[in-house]
Amino acid sequence: MSVVHRASDETLAAFAAGGLDEGLAVVVAAHIELDRESRRRLQEFQAIQGAFLDSIEPVAMTRRPQVPAEQRPLADNLLVTSRPAESGMPDALRPYTLGPWRRIGLRIAMRRVEVPGAEARVFMLRAGPGIALPPHKHTGFEWTTILAGAYEHQYGRYAAGDFDEADAEHDHTPSVDPVEGCTCLVAMTGKVLLQGWLGRVLQPLVRF
Amino acid sequence: MAVASAFAVEDMRNRSAAQGKQLFALFDPNALIAAIARSGDRDAFDQLFDYFAPRVKALLMRGGASAELAEEIAQETLLSVWRKAVMFDPAKASASTWIATIARNRRIDIARRETRSRLSQVYEILDEEAPQQPDEAIAGAERDARVRAAMTGLSADQYRVVQLAFVEGFTHQDVAKHLAIPLGTVKSRLRLALSHLRGKLEDLR
Repeated sequence: MSVVHRASDETLAAFAAGGLDEGLAVVVAAHIELDRESRRRLQEFQAIQGAFLDSIEPVAMTRRPQVPAEQRPLADNLLVTSRPAESGMPDALRPYTLGPWRRIGLRIAMRRVEVPGAEARVFMLRAGPGIALPPHKHTGFEWTTILAGAYEHQYGRYAAGDFDEADAEHDHTPSVDPVEGCTCLVAMTGKVLLQGWLGRVLQPLVRF
Repeated sequence: MAVASAFAVEDMRNRSAAQGKQLFALFDPNALIAAIARSGDRDAFDQLFDYFAPRVKALLMRGGASAELAEEIAQETLLSVWRKAVMFDPAKASASTWIATIARNRRIDIARRETRSRLSQVYEILDEEAPQQPDEAIAGAERDARVRAAMTGLSADQYRVVQLAFVEGFTHQDVAKHLAIPLGTVKSRLRLALSHLRGKLEDLR
């Protein structure tokens, strides 16, 4: 996988610090899973946090807790208690409930990802080869990690592992790869104005 | 002469034994975490707690948490260190970095518990699955040591913006507002700080 479009330093720093909206964070996590370089940058940013922890002037604790007598440090209760990943699905989605795939047009389907407490709406989108996704504008963010296949718009071609970090400035009309189609994970904040027939079909379904 | 050199050797032995003792007494978080993992060593836990909990608390208070909340998160963080000690891999990251990420996760759990947030699980999944490339095995600890050293080379202004962006998770816009400086200044300070840090890591890549 040769990733071309990566999450910006600003986005990755906010992710590393735990400051992102959970819906946006899930899409960033899926990107990091697929891109070694982004994972390496994340680790560097976490090392910066470690350096701050080392150099900070301590503030005294009022008490030290007792480790419960019966509690032994063990690994077996640490494994994340979520279901195993479906094949082709990012592991970052394991903690979340996924809705069913729903056809929302000719050769296009979506699947909601329930992220409790998130401001962003998160969903997967699967589009057949050659489809033009609806042209749209944003008032917030639309962050996308491409899971399989590719799409292209005026800012470039986005293939598996790539991260598309669009904000209110962008106004784009993605067209899906004519051979491979495209499956992606999307988080959106704010209002999105879809245009065209597909937009009108999609609009109520994604609660814009 | 022979006697003198025997004394000298004895003296050297004593000295190196004393140095050895002193080295052993130095704070070694990796050894303490290993002792917890191996045998549930409570004394090791207390030592780790006394070093890290006040620092985690300070870091959280710097980020705007109340003393009470910061204390709660610091306690939870160190209890997680106890439970997860077997998962710690000193080749992947330094103890400080590892504990900082646990503190972030506990902070998220506590700040977002009302909304049933699963975000800390997402971070844990990413961490578990970090692929260990042979060339990355040593690089983790080395990277952390270099980042720590490189941080001392930042100007006070750079240090502050790095803290807000990387520890507090502020957007550049929020950093600008918080410090009452122009957005462009924030961006250029961060760019310089990052290129300084990355310059120190170049040959590790």
